[in-house]
Amino acid sequence: MPRPQWVLLGLIAVEIAVFGAAGENFLSWANAVEMLRVACEIGLIALAVTCVIVAGGIDLSTGSLMGLSAVALGALHRDWGLPLPLAVAATLCLGLLCGGLNAVFVTRFRTLPLIATLGTYSLFRGLAEGFTNGARSYGGFGDSFASFGRGWQAIVFAAAAAAFWILLERSRVGRGWRAIGFSPDGAWYARIPVTRRLSLAYILSGLMASLAGVIYVARIGQAKADAGTGYELSAIAAVVLGGTSIFGGRGTIAGTLLGLAAIVILQTGLRLASLPAEFAGIAMGVLLIVTIALAERRSRWVWAIAGTLAAAVCAWAIVRPAPPTRRVTVAMMPKAKGDPYFISCRKGAEEAAKKLGVELLWDGPTDLDPAKQSEIAESWITRGVDAIAVAVANRDAIAPVLAKARGRGIKVLTWDADARPESRDAFVNQATPQAIGETLADEAARLLNGRGDFAIVTGALTAANQNEWIVHIKRRLERHPGLRLVKIVPSDDDRDRAFAETQTLIKAEPSVKLFMGIAAPAVPGAGEAVKQTGRSDLFVIGLSLPNLCKPYVRAGHVQSVVLWDTVALGRLTVESAVRLLRGETLGPEIVLGAPLIFTRANIENYDF
Amino acid sequence: MKWALAALAAILAFAAPDFFALANLRDLALANLATLIVACGLLLVILAGEIDISVGSQFALCGWAIGFAPWAAPLAGAACGLMNGLLCGALRLPSIVVTLATMVALRDAIRWLTQGAWTRMPDGFQWFGLGQTQGQWLLIAASAALALAMGWALRNVRVMRFFYAVGASGESARLTGIPVARVRVLAFAALGLLTGLAALLNAVRFTEVQPSAGIGLELKAIAAVVVGGASIRGGRGTMLGTVLGVALLGTIGAALAFLGFSAYWEKAIQGAIILAAALAEYWEARRA
Amino acid sequence: MIRAVDVSRSFGAIRALANVTFDAQPGEVHALVGENGAGKSTLIKILTGALEPDAGTVERAGAVAAVYQQPALFGELSVAENIALLTERDSRRWLVDWSMREANARRALSRIGAEIDPRRLANTLSLPEQQMVEIAKAVATDARTVIFDEPTASLPEADSARLFDVVAELKAQGRALIYISHRLEELFRIADRVTVLRDGRRIVTNAIGEVTRASLIGQMAGREVDTMVPARETKPGEVRLRAPGLEVRAGEIVGLAGLVGAGRTELARRLFAEDAAALVPEDRRRNGVIGPMPVSDNVGLAALKTFLVDRVAERRSAESFRERLAIKCAGVDAPVETLSGGNQQKVALARWLATNPGALILDEPTQGVDVGAKAEICRLIAGLADGGMAVLLISSELPELLGLCDRIAVMRRGAIVATFHRSEAEPSRILEAMLGAAA
Repeated sequence: MPRPQWVLLGLIAVEIAVFGAAGENFLSWANAVEMLRVACEIGLIALAVTCVIVAGGIDLSTGSLMGLSAVALGALHRDWGLPLPLAVAATLCLGLLCGGLNAVFVTRFRTLPLIATLGTYSLFRGLAEGFTNGARSYGGFGDSFASFGRGWQAIVFAAAAAAFWILLERSRVGRGWRAIGFSPDGAWYARIPVTRRLSLAYILSGLMASLAGVIYVARIGQAKADAGTGYELSAIAAVVLGGTSIFGGRGTIAGTLLGLAAIVILQTGLRLASLPAEFAGIAMGVLLIVTIALAERRSRWVWAIAGTLAAAVCAWAIVRPAPPTRRVTVAMMPKAKGDPYFISCRKGAEEAAKKLGVELLWDGPTDLDPAKQSEIAESWITRGVDAIAVAVANRDAIAPVLAKARGRGIKVLTWDADARPESRDAFVNQATPQAIGETLADEAARLLNGRGDFAIVTGALTAANQNEWIVHIKRRLERHPGLRLVKIVPSDDDRDRAFAETQTLIKAEPSVKLFMGIAAPAVPGAGEAVKQTGRSDLFVIGLSLPNLCKPYVRAGHVQSVVLWDTVALGRLTVESAVRLLRGETLGPEIVLGAPLIFTRANIENYDF
Repeated sequence: MKWALAALAAILAFAAPDFFALANLRDLALANLATLIVACGLLLVILAGEIDISVGSQFALCGWAIGFAPWAAPLAGAACGLMNGLLCGALRLPSIVVTLATMVALRDAIRWLTQGAWTRMPDGFQWFGLGQTQGQWLLIAASAALALAMGWALRNVRVMRFFYAVGASGESARLTGIPVARVRVLAFAALGLLTGLAALLNAVRFTEVQPSAGIGLELKAIAAVVVGGASIRGGRGTMLGTVLGVALLGTIGAALAFLGFSAYWEKAIQGAIILAAALAEYWEARRA
Repeated sequence: MIRAVDVSRSFGAIRALANVTFDAQPGEVHALVGENGAGKSTLIKILTGALEPDAGTVERAGAVAAVYQQPALFGELSVAENIALLTERDSRRWLVDWSMREANARRALSRIGAEIDPRRLANTLSLPEQQMVEIAKAVATDARTVIFDEPTASLPEADSARLFDVVAELKAQGRALIYISHRLEELFRIADRVTVLRDGRRIVTNAIGEVTRASLIGQMAGREVDTMVPARETKPGEVRLRAPGLEVRAGEIVGLAGLVGAGRTELARRLFAEDAAALVPEDRRRNGVIGPMPVSDNVGLAALKTFLVDRVAERRSAESFRERLAIKCAGVDAPVETLSGGNQQKVALARWLATNPGALILDEPTQGVDVGAKAEICRLIAGLADGGMAVLLISSELPELLGLCDRIAVMRRGAIVATFHRSEAEPSRILEAMLGAAA
């Protein structure tokens, strides 16, 4: 076995030892199955990408193609009424076609693979967003399809792994890929059909990406344009960690599988050991560098450093202080960890947990991947917490996990956004999407005196709750016939982007007089843009945190900010969870109160 | 690439002449300033035959560092760059792997350090305490001067010529007596420094810095450099091409808004334009 | 003046150089010969300072410059800059003085009689032009010692003649010259002394007048080498390979002569692409073999007929070729790049023999191959033709063509301009056809 794979095996052994000691229920059958489920989609892509990289190329478009495939599957099945097997087949054909597009550019037009697939990376995701207007999501694929996503995909993955192993290691196709990766000219002189072989690698990559998209839909029960965001990098990381040379020629399927295992074990293990999700990235960075250094340099220094690191981590796992007594644990999940809105919720939750003497676990996705919430909840079930409170990003996707948790006797609450009523014990309701939408629309009408054009600056175009608010804003416009929603632009939760988009809109759509930011960074972004024009005839309102908007509200660039008391929401959620655990009965909905409207008059009274 | 830019300009001139208003061009220049400065540094790294995909995370880290002192941003950037440089240049580890690792590690490190909290800038920091108009023109002048200086230096400073030689063939460069490892380390460190500078100049436009800043910046900058005619294999590329690449990719979004396209199709059109530029290059190469 | 005394150098367990003493005096050409792997490259690297010896000392008076077999110019940089990177090696200047660079380059180029615009990018130059720039680099540095490492291996004969003039001029300027070549005839034209290396040891150093071709070959090989190709009886069969003005029959060896750039390689590539013949290409390191792949995979690469690779059969076939062609390697699992040049060439040949082709094109098969291996390869080619294969042999070495071929076709500017039967082939007539009426 080649050297990098020994290094990886050692790494995996260390990981298992550490998390076996530090993580709860890490060494269990349920956890093994869960890890396999999580690994399947990235794994399928990684298998095909191994071949592409061995042949001297790269494919950045796989994650985007997952999104396009998910949307295509949804549209074919739900809109066109194609029976599911037929829709799946058609989706896979789409994957072949898209892979073929990459192949044409790389082989026929001699575009560098990095550039060609960077183009399609943008193109495929853009098509998915365009066709669904970012918002539409398809659900209702039926129980048999969903049950397929509960474990059967492991069989597909095993079959794919075997097929790719034969293809790369034992067939003349793989021999050709390897030769092309080492030297395309040399391969041509060995009469290897270079164009055909290269094309096949990209086409297979497309096929696997769309297969991963289908499995993703089966697993989380919903098809949306944001499926697979960031999966291309995870897959490449697994391939590279597995010892495949980015320059082509060298690489094995076994290595990729080991690299994938190392990454998935790391991510799951960190969750079960209740370490912050941020450690996953830091640890993975260190692992990548140490592994590649061990594989490439035979220096005693590198070995010494790696050995010290491994020993230190093992020692930490053994001697780390175990929780003194088994306290009641409440696990609380935001939609996105880095969102300032949820950060202020956390403050209240921590206060309440301290007062009531319970342990609070706070973790959530650090990116926009809708599958992450289910994965984190799964790991909490495996770990065995007492109550789970989720701010649901995707009600269809999370339902099976929540049902499973209740089946294990875990109290399940939702907060901020609800799941299906039958899948939770209680919902801590701060304000309905309807109330938010109506308040915002009414506020806009008030400022514009019932007449005028306005634009919305949203989060990501595919963000679920923002899209729900937009629906309610549009519906409320029937009451305000003079208002016209001219444009919706994305900010991707980036203040700078919100700023630039607003700046452009001010000039490109001069009729727009009011900007409505509906993501926490969008309001200060729009406010800054208006401030820099120096104009006083433009209005900015939206949904954000008072502290982020204070300077703009004070200076009169932002007129009003709609929000509820987020600290209180966090507090109320933890309190409700504890009351449920004490056996008190609560109604299905615990209401926080009506939304607050912050203006120049009252904003100084709030600090969150 | 120049054809794509010319076509875009022609369409805009015909369909949305407002696009060329001075204020709009000024705002576009400011919006793309960070990308341009990072692309300058990335050009050096790509010329030297390496790649750095960790610049987006470095950018966020440098923004956070401004909270301590403005000069901490370039310093933090240079430190990150030096780390990448030592791993890639001195240890000779493949740069795509090393910077993939530092990209995820730095991003999660900044998430953990800030816990999502925004970094407030010191009072009077916005526009360096100048007025808005002076501040805006100062930033534009500074980045234009930087690009010009880089273009001139790439041609006339001896050390800068080494980047071309090292990228074309590290082995030949070594035989010619060029300190190859040091040149590679220098490229990464310079990129880090410039990324810190970009974070600083970008932060000057606002009063707060977000820890999630810079996500996707690496793709934007790499695409601009490569669309600008630099070879991803090293040894070929110019500053002028890079500026044009930034100009093309940085104005597409705004141009589409002026032409009235829905934002939902923006990504698709951007992808199509990258592919179209690739096609144009193919036809041009075939004609030659 | 340069002198290495008792230098030794090992790579791992392999002793590349053992107690070698070697010197070159001002105004002399000291030739260095030896088979591949004899330690010539290691000695040169130690002389230029690219490698440090494990033991022994090197004295250098003034700078040392080297001209290698494969020009290694920076393609995206101009000729002037390629020269300047070397001449400004120890410069402390910060800025580039472009007009000075151009003037220096122009002066260096004119000193060796090359008419090349110093502003041209190196990747627009032809191979001989690149080689001239490499020589200009050596001249421009004012190096007291200049080392030529097989400079004529990639040059056609006409350009080689000009190179000899340059060598003579450098010698007249009082520089010390070290000259390495597999083409022994050249040595007798330009060298003053000759040193033979074998297995990392210095065998003998003699004045050129005291040695003969045969004695040199014997000393290099350490055994009697039969450089003669056995005379062949040809019984041409049916036509196996056809191109405008050219036919190759089964059992026949047809030579293809011409200057570099006459279109010989292009013709070979075209015939190969049309599936008319198998091709062992020029530039074997880049094209002939896949360096990092094992010997067995390389041999089997073109013969894969089924979807699944029969690895046992592939190994067996590789082992049989290893025996039949006497390929020297640690094992068939060894990467080809670890083999010597001649053995790599045999692997490239084995790959196509494994497919049992009716017609075979060989493009410069003996380029950069040592004398012993060269003779072996020539005998192999003769054997293939005797076995009924149609062989088209492209070579820049006239003696090789004259010795092996039944007929010799001459190419100029992309077309076959003349064909000589073995009996009428004379070097002067072939050269005349190669150069055309104007020459």
